[in-house]
Amino acid sequence: MRKINTYDKSREAFARAMKVIPSGIYGHQGPAEGCYTPVEAFPFFSSRAQGTYLWDLDGNRFIDYMCAYGPNILGYHDPDVDAAAAEQRAIADCTTLPSTKMIEFAELLVDTVACADWAFFAKNGNDVTTLAVMAARAYTHRKKIVFFRGYYHGVAPWTQKIDYPGVIEEDVMHNIYVNWNDIEALKQVFHENRGQIAAVIGQPYMHGNFMDNELPAKGFWQAVRKLCTDNGTVLVIDDVRAGFRLDLAGSDHYFGFEADLICFCKALANGYNVSALCGKEFLKNTVSGMSYTGSYWLSAVPFAAGIACINKMRAMDLPKLLIEKGTRLKDGLVAAAEKYGFDLRVTGVPSLFYLRIADDPTLMLHQEWVAECVKRGVFFTNHHNHFINAALTDEDIKETVEIADEAFSVVRDRRS
Amino acid sequence: MTDQRTMAYINLHAVLGTIPYLCELDDNAKDLIKNENLSVGFAVKGGPCGTLVFEDGKCRFIRGCESCKIKLPFSSPEKFNGMIDGTVTPIPSRGFTKIGFLLKKFMPLTDILSSYLRADEEALKDPVFFEKSTKLMLHLIASAVAQIGNVDRVGRASASYISDGTVKLEIGDDIAIGLVAKNHKLAALHRAPKSFTSYMRFEDIRLARALFDGKVNAVACVGEGKIRVGGMISQVDNVNRILDRVALYLA
Repeated sequence: MRKINTYDKSREAFARAMKVIPSGIYGHQGPAEGCYTPVEAFPFFSSRAQGTYLWDLDGNRFIDYMCAYGPNILGYHDPDVDAAAAEQRAIADCTTLPSTKMIEFAELLVDTVACADWAFFAKNGNDVTTLAVMAARAYTHRKKIVFFRGYYHGVAPWTQKIDYPGVIEEDVMHNIYVNWNDIEALKQVFHENRGQIAAVIGQPYMHGNFMDNELPAKGFWQAVRKLCTDNGTVLVIDDVRAGFRLDLAGSDHYFGFEADLICFCKALANGYNVSALCGKEFLKNTVSGMSYTGSYWLSAVPFAAGIACINKMRAMDLPKLLIEKGTRLKDGLVAAAEKYGFDLRVTGVPSLFYLRIADDPTLMLHQEWVAECVKRGVFFTNHHNHFINAALTDEDIKETVEIADEAFSVVRDRRS
Repeated sequence: MTDQRTMAYINLHAVLGTIPYLCELDDNAKDLIKNENLSVGFAVKGGPCGTLVFEDGKCRFIRGCESCKIKLPFSSPEKFNGMIDGTVTPIPSRGFTKIGFLLKKFMPLTDILSSYLRADEEALKDPVFFEKSTKLMLHLIASAVAQIGNVDRVGRASASYISDGTVKLEIGDDIAIGLVAKNHKLAALHRAPKSFTSYMRFEDIRLARALFDGKVNAVACVGEGKIRVGGMISQVDNVNRILDRVALYLA
């Protein structure tokens, strides 16, 4: 049996944080939104990270399958990316005039991403999904935006729901929601809102939380593309989460269609702080005329990191590698579950996999198993997709499967 | 941000709907109804309709008011809400001869209820009173969540994201109720559910009270382990959003 983690220092730090920070840790990395259930099984703060590993304040080491919720794609502290960033930092970072690294980065993205004729940089995914929607409205002079239920496009008011604190009806009154993969419903929406829909925005496949991830049905995206083209609507792909883990040319390319606008962040620079909106030529003038910027959006260090990251991903043919690693992990986890009579469902693309034990629809069994994995050093979360990074080795996958096996054994014994 | 129709549903199902539990918990309330065999119906045009039935020393709430002995009709939700606020005096359309019950029994019952639901700080220092008050508040809140999820426009949006199942709300080991969701319609279950699909468990009654009073935030308490959630957490999450609106209506 493996050592069971304890988290005394994490808890002490959290008590400090609670005094001076709303909810201690806010957002997706907080214990409530992260669905850390039971909360005792999870560490709250890290002390360091390297490759595929994360260490918490108590010295526990984790094989980290959250990868900072996506940014860690090459491994924490990738030497090539860090070296490029350090070199640029020694020259200049946040300056009055931007560095030409910005041009170099945009040229590289245009050369890499299939639908990209230009690139616009910001900091977070939310910055560029918001820019995409604003650009679509500016170009079409229309108000309405179509979403697929289960979506996540950030935290700006337009991305939230009417019942969220601080969101007012006017923020979301032009949002229209349809079910994922339901092309007939989408056609109906276009019929009922003829000439009013500025954009359809979607993640490349349904990787919402609390549900098995669902790939696009055959021909779905092509039908969406045609509807948008026929109706003068801008098609926006939010590739913030999935970007570069399916296809370096963009997840639209992976699924065989072309977006008008595509949003990247997370894996773009292996953890350095940059996001990008890429788009087609016909939208470039519109974006040129928009008032949209931020204090640090033109900083050069993240551009240098992004260039190094993309070049390395291209050299490694990384999505293929990550999908292979994810497939090996998936096969190992499913086999371990079967050994103890559990039905573990692994959905989504293997480089971005989602886990659910299907034997208990309440998900309590699943939460119990995830907790036992975390307590033994494999960082899964309960109801979010996971991420594979390039530093994950076969030895790490083997260790993960061994821990998962032990966790299944504990859960089965407890329940029998 | 709030609407009168939803308020009427809350006032009937949640506020007056808590009287049966008051009659179980409070001796003065029990005494008031011990020899009564009467029913009071509330019929709100464009709003809810329900009856409080008093018999054999107990009280229960039923939907509809076809067979009530005293019927109080209201021409609008606003008028009914006015009665609850004390600004409108209702005139029975049935049961004129039993008007004494309204004045001598029913009104005192609602006064006792108010003393628990709008308790002052001094009264809450008594641990027995505190516990009764919080239990009644839990019943009230469960019913109010159901009504807001079914009637209020924003609440209905939250309910539309709640999958079928039962959310168990528990305080410590002794107090529990449920919220049952089916086809995005909510119903309060005023006892511990035998099975449930998600749970929200408060460490103790004081924490529950602090949350009901808006003095603490559920998200912060989850991190501290003072509130534990599990199962289909999206159910709990959306119930929490409706809980926020309960405070808006009952403030």
